[in-house]
Amino acid sequence: MSFSNNFKASLDIALKDLLYFWRMKMLFITFLMLPVILMFLFGFMFPTVGTSNVYSGKIASPYYNIPVGIVIEDGGEIAYNVANQFKQLASSTRLLKVKDFSSFEVAKEKIVAGELKGVIVIPNGFTEALKSNRQAVIHVTMDDTSSQLSSVVFSQISMLFKMISSSISVSMIKNIDASIDPSFIAEPIVVERKNLIAGTTSTFEFLAPGFMALNIVMGTLSGLAAAIAREKEQGTMDGILVAPISSYAIITGKVLAQTIRGMIQAFIVLGISIAFFGVRIYGSFFLMLLIMFLGVSSFIGIGIIATTLAPEQETAMTLIMLFQIPSMFICNILFPIEQLPKWLQIIGKMMPLYYAADGLRKIIVLNASFNQIIWDITVLLLYSIITLSVAIPLFRKALTR
Amino acid sequence: MDPMIIAENLTKKFNGFTAVDHISFKVEKGEIFGFLGPNGAGKSTTIRMLCTLTKPTEGTAIVGGYDIIKQPEQVRKVIGLVAEKLILYPQLTAVENLKFFGKLYGLRGKQLEERIKELLDMVLLTRFKDFPVGGYSSGMRQRLNIVRGLIHDPEIIFLDEPTAMLDPQSVQFIRDLIKNLKKNGKTIVLTTHIMEEAELLSDKVGIIDHGKIIALDSPENLKRKYNCASLHEVFLELTGRTLRDSASNNMRIGVIRGF
Repeated sequence: MSFSNNFKASLDIALKDLLYFWRMKMLFITFLMLPVILMFLFGFMFPTVGTSNVYSGKIASPYYNIPVGIVIEDGGEIAYNVANQFKQLASSTRLLKVKDFSSFEVAKEKIVAGELKGVIVIPNGFTEALKSNRQAVIHVTMDDTSSQLSSVVFSQISMLFKMISSSISVSMIKNIDASIDPSFIAEPIVVERKNLIAGTTSTFEFLAPGFMALNIVMGTLSGLAAAIAREKEQGTMDGILVAPISSYAIITGKVLAQTIRGMIQAFIVLGISIAFFGVRIYGSFFLMLLIMFLGVSSFIGIGIIATTLAPEQETAMTLIMLFQIPSMFICNILFPIEQLPKWLQIIGKMMPLYYAADGLRKIIVLNASFNQIIWDITVLLLYSIITLSVAIPLFRKALTR
Repeated sequence: MDPMIIAENLTKKFNGFTAVDHISFKVEKGEIFGFLGPNGAGKSTTIRMLCTLTKPTEGTAIVGGYDIIKQPEQVRKVIGLVAEKLILYPQLTAVENLKFFGKLYGLRGKQLEERIKELLDMVLLTRFKDFPVGGYSSGMRQRLNIVRGLIHDPEIIFLDEPTAMLDPQSVQFIRDLIKNLKKNGKTIVLTTHIMEEAELLSDKVGIIDHGKIIALDSPENLKRKYNCASLHEVFLELTGRTLRDSASNNMRIGVIRGF
């Protein structure tokens, strides 16, 4: 059979699979819902603003209105001023909800009862220390049952007090010598963050490309496994195999349908990220498509091998899941790979999904050029060639044994 | 004229178990060959080998003038398969099903449309052509399943139990259809467990048991030879009256195929 006939046949197989999918209404709706739910779920789990800036009310923290208590033991005027300034700052950032308490003992009870996450004490002698030119101390006690929350809240409390402290020093320096810049004395070195791309970065610029890669690769993989195993089980695969077309045409058709499905999911992810979570595409759309395509083809071979070896649909799906679930966690998709132990990082970097996500991220966030992502492209291409050259001969052999 | 099917020492082993054991037979052009045997005797495996769906362990066959091992694509062009399992997508309509399979044989456009119309008329399904096949009765499904195998007008047609589990009306309809195909010069390999059917339709029958062909002749000759009133009697005479321990065979094949 000629090449053009085989090519047409593969298109027909793809169209048939897509039509079939479209007819399975419930599956189709679930398929569209999945990326939507995932994106919104992660949208609420993670903060949308990545750069901390207390002055603009932006805080890079997943926590809001954490209840803390404040106890003013010192009767002095400065103690009250400092406490008021702290409450104002805390309410403007919406991070903390500050409540007054008469004594540390009462507040401590509330921590144990779980109603407060921390207590700030302005101890006796606070005003006096400042007036007599000595450092004044503030005590902070945290609820230690949740160490992650405590450390975030503690660092936010210290940051707010540091701001108050530096405003005090600025006014003191002004009183000593009006001719010098008080902020220079108070804080000689300032850190300013300059992003590669203008504007604020957000967690979604990390998550969105990762999810896109995950959706196309995994959607295609499990879709392909289901599509082949289903036809094998219901007997229609025999009808295709008995037709005068090559194994390549059959696989190409199957893969094409699943790739289109995966791409639709990926674009839903991208659409939601752009519309609701402020993600912008800085790079080339064409390069993005290229990486998506290579990401799919690098996984197809693995999918075919799993599917042809598995005796029925459920085994095929479980086999794929075995591969899919760990990939989500170790391939730099949900959180940075640097958080993992070294050996897991190495395994993660052996997976093609890592390179698909990496490439997409660089294109979308950093406007990378072809040359800058050549390594990702090479790895994905190698993966595709190697796995497909094993999978395709195996395919007909396994089905015609 | 050369026979349409020549099987020579066709053999299939699954993990050491011999499903089909060096069988040889010929089917002439325009003949209906009744391929009979108890469950698990090797009928379906033989048909799968002749259709290039299973590779023989040993031996080969010439189907429509082409070698099943060396020229599988050529073989596929001249054969039509109506397998035991329905080869239809329940979510698609009759027309969509036929269109899809027609295209795999390179049929397109007007030619394909006319062929589909002709086939649907032939099995009286034109009225239901745009309904999903999943809603069809078993008789309707089987009628469609048969013409699906005929979409490219093949010279050789394999019918694996085409009348199993159907009502008498459907059975009669399908038998008439098979007779018509023969009238049009098609070569047919038919498997069935209904011996009356085989006797009624076949020019020649081959009885296979334990992977070997144990009888190969016309129904008339076989009845005379074994002095039986019907092919049914001949079959029982040859394959025995006790129930078969065919489960062991099926289980072995089942493990390999994964069903």
